[in-house]
Amino acid sequence: MSAPIDIHGARLSRRAFIGTGGALAVAVSLPVKASATTAPASLDAAVPASWIELKADGTVTIRTGKCDFGQSSVNTAYRQIVAEELCVPLSAMTTVITGDTDRTPDGGGTFWLLGYVQNLRKVAAYMREAALELAADKLRVDRKALSVKDGVISGGGKAISYADLVKGQDLKLTIAVEGELTSPMGLTVKGEPPLKPVSEYTIIGKPSANPMTRPKVSGEAVWVGDVKLPGMLHARTIHPATLGSKLVKAGKLDGAQYPGARLVTIGNLLAVVSPDEWEAVQAAQAVAAETQWSDWQGLPGHEGLADHLRSKADWTKFPSRDGAANKGEPEKVPAVREHKASYFLPYHKHAPIGPMVTLADYRPDGSVTLHTLSQNPQHLRHMIAKMLSGGEDKVVVRTYPGSGHYGRSNGGSAGSEDEAVLLSRELGRPVRVQWMRADEMQWTTQSSCALADIAIKLDKDGRIAGYGAEHRVPPMQDDRLVGAILAGLPVIDSPAPVTKDPFQNGVNEMQDTWVYGNVPAVREKAMSTWQIGEKESPIAVGLRDHSMRTPIQFQQNFPRELAMSEAAMLAGKDALQFRLDHVTDPRFKAIIAKLRTEAGWDSRPSPAPGARASGKGVVKGRGMSIMLRDNGYWACAAHVAVMPETGEVKVERMTMVADVGIVINPLQLRRQIQAGCLMGVSQALHEEVSFDKGAITAADWASYPILTMAEAPDIKVVFETNLAAGNYGQGSESANALAGPAIAAAVLDATGKPVRRLPLRPEYVKAALA
Amino acid sequence: MVGEFGVTKIVVNGQQREVKASPDTPLLYVLRNELGVMGVKFGCGLAQCGACSVLLGDEEVRACVTPVAAVEGKPVTTVDGLPARWAEKKGLAPDPQRLHPVQQAWVDEQVPQCGICQFGMMIKVTELLEANPKPTDADIREALTNSGPSPHLCRCGSYAAILEGAHRAAKLMAEGGAA
Repeated sequence: MSAPIDIHGARLSRRAFIGTGGALAVAVSLPVKASATTAPASLDAAVPASWIELKADGTVTIRTGKCDFGQSSVNTAYRQIVAEELCVPLSAMTTVITGDTDRTPDGGGTFWLLGYVQNLRKVAAYMREAALELAADKLRVDRKALSVKDGVISGGGKAISYADLVKGQDLKLTIAVEGELTSPMGLTVKGEPPLKPVSEYTIIGKPSANPMTRPKVSGEAVWVGDVKLPGMLHARTIHPATLGSKLVKAGKLDGAQYPGARLVTIGNLLAVVSPDEWEAVQAAQAVAAETQWSDWQGLPGHEGLADHLRSKADWTKFPSRDGAANKGEPEKVPAVREHKASYFLPYHKHAPIGPMVTLADYRPDGSVTLHTLSQNPQHLRHMIAKMLSGGEDKVVVRTYPGSGHYGRSNGGSAGSEDEAVLLSRELGRPVRVQWMRADEMQWTTQSSCALADIAIKLDKDGRIAGYGAEHRVPPMQDDRLVGAILAGLPVIDSPAPVTKDPFQNGVNEMQDTWVYGNVPAVREKAMSTWQIGEKESPIAVGLRDHSMRTPIQFQQNFPRELAMSEAAMLAGKDALQFRLDHVTDPRFKAIIAKLRTEAGWDSRPSPAPGARASGKGVVKGRGMSIMLRDNGYWACAAHVAVMPETGEVKVERMTMVADVGIVINPLQLRRQIQAGCLMGVSQALHEEVSFDKGAITAADWASYPILTMAEAPDIKVVFETNLAAGNYGQGSESANALAGPAIAAAVLDATGKPVRRLPLRPEYVKAALA
Repeated sequence: MVGEFGVTKIVVNGQQREVKASPDTPLLYVLRNELGVMGVKFGCGLAQCGACSVLLGDEEVRACVTPVAAVEGKPVTTVDGLPARWAEKKGLAPDPQRLHPVQQAWVDEQVPQCGICQFGMMIKVTELLEANPKPTDADIREALTNSGPSPHLCRCGSYAAILEGAHRAAKLMAEGGAA
């Protein structure tokens, strides 16, 4: 084959015949603009950076810039999807290489994984088509007569396996992509190769165990904190006293007591290093106790946060956004009755169990390798290069299994990465920065707080005549490297009305898709402001925010769904039937009806018989919530017990019903939904970031409690695949967001009184019931 | 600091080890940095989460707050040493493929999400099952919440999976272990 063959717009070429081995590999063809900018290290179109590689032994290797944070999709669903499209057995998918910037071709963040997987799905489809062309040539059979199954192409009485087809060959399939590798969104496959019909699926939809589980539980897996390099130093950062403090005077390091330790100061970035980790810990504590920082009091304090959002924060500098489903003028619609209320959500922490840790090795030639945990290694690479005012070709990011942090690093950074690089550069040795629990709680981003005003007008029949909502949420895509900020080095933009990259834009959209199509007049508005304290902070830090699981939608869905339950009560209607009466999408009607059965829902108006807001003993109630996210339809019911006298809430059971479209892996989806839901229960019952005028005061698990196993309710998860939907359904995120409004609605049902805020801690519940 | 105190002799996963670190060094850092035993993870350093749990004899302790001097004379078992612990208890020949039933149950039931907490969860469940081979749901919840220095915390919310994993582990142990 001398001239390249066109494969639905991709280019198949044979570079050489080789003696042994052989492969069909995928190279990406970049637009000139992008390839000219940066990043040759991981964009060599040669085999090592190939998206998918089909080898002469019949095995397949996948390379993706996405990482696994515990939901396992890149190790399970990704294998299944590629195997399905390539028409090879799942057992052929032996290797998945994830995240490493020098070994993966595509970049982009680890989120929307079943959307992004369309890239790999298309690449696999191109490869299958290319293999069919090659086979037609080799077998002398018309291409149209050929089909492929289990890695064997056959037709016209002849057959050849993929393995035999690539044996002794060095085949390269070049496909066109768009985007920039190190931008937050990475590269996207442009073309539209023919995809395997959903009706022919044999691998997608079957349970598939996560191959990473065994090495993790056996102790064999190398976690991010486990990497060691010769001569490395252990570092502990000493972070400023407040989110706006500058270094006045570093404490003295007692050389007699800590002979191996050394103090490093880079601007406001202060750290202690030692070859001995325990010495670094102790010496850092001693130095921190003596270090003087400038005072700063630019935060409202968590008790004053709702008032601050209402009356102090400036919501006029960021353009507001209308909901896509807005229609009519609800403010002018006459109402027989009206539910009008405000809802509040505090800041939440991502709060991984393992604090961030990074090992960086900066070398004399200006190159640096980071060993870290990131959901967006290529964009981290971009930001590290920017901090160093150097080229992206000098930066390699290697990733490892680590503690889940639920979106915090989907723009690249979760903390410690930049500090390790700067300290390694300063000291000329590999440096491992391990954040302590307090650093992890106090110097990371949080999920944004929210304030919402909802007005629901009811007509004479108790149906909704008009719905109005204003959602005030500080923006949540602050990907800046906080160590670089402290060191006074270049960082990307913080969230603002206009940012260099739109990914970090601070304008909020209505993310919570409107689902009540029968409401005649709807007016939803999403508003944004500067991050709280950022403008006031002399070091431009303040309360930095970052997306967490269902960003913005979490903040918008809680008020909407709790308000719907309250409006149903006002109308004297059953909360489930009330929703059924207002949704139009048949998929919603189906799952809400199913929720009624699966949850054992007792159809009646709220409050529950026997509901009361005071007195001894337990009252019980149930509530629900629904959500549309990434084409997945979700309904959730919570059953709770409340002790009005103390304000204690116990969640007894949760029921989740979902129609996510095509289920890729029912085994992992069930686990994702269970876990996402329990994290949501944790947020609903316990979580609030406490802070004073200058600093976050939630510093450990005592001051930021999360759900324990004793408190975990029973969970029932119900879903089935819906091939007709045509799309791949997402997993746990929606389950996470739905718990809060369902539980709050159940408390309303049990007591007859609304608690229009989270968490449902005894003191807040008691105050609301009084 | 290193070396000036002489050595501390400890037993980790069935092996005699000599430790040079100062006696006040938390076991966590000794295991991970000096002895290369990595199946014990740093979580909070405050005995609040359980990610660093090890068995000291038959009892779960938190390696992040236990000075190495305090473990002289009692054997330490980490997740890395669970298979050998099981083989010894059952008199089984060494087999590198054989996991402890608790680990095997964690694979069978696909318990972990990210997995960082599971090192401590598996240690705690091993402690429980060695003392109580047929625990109820309530026993398992109690063990993982109230029986140690703090609850064993999972941020991913894998508690439902852990419950299923613990019951499966009990079954595997009753049957004599993983296949």
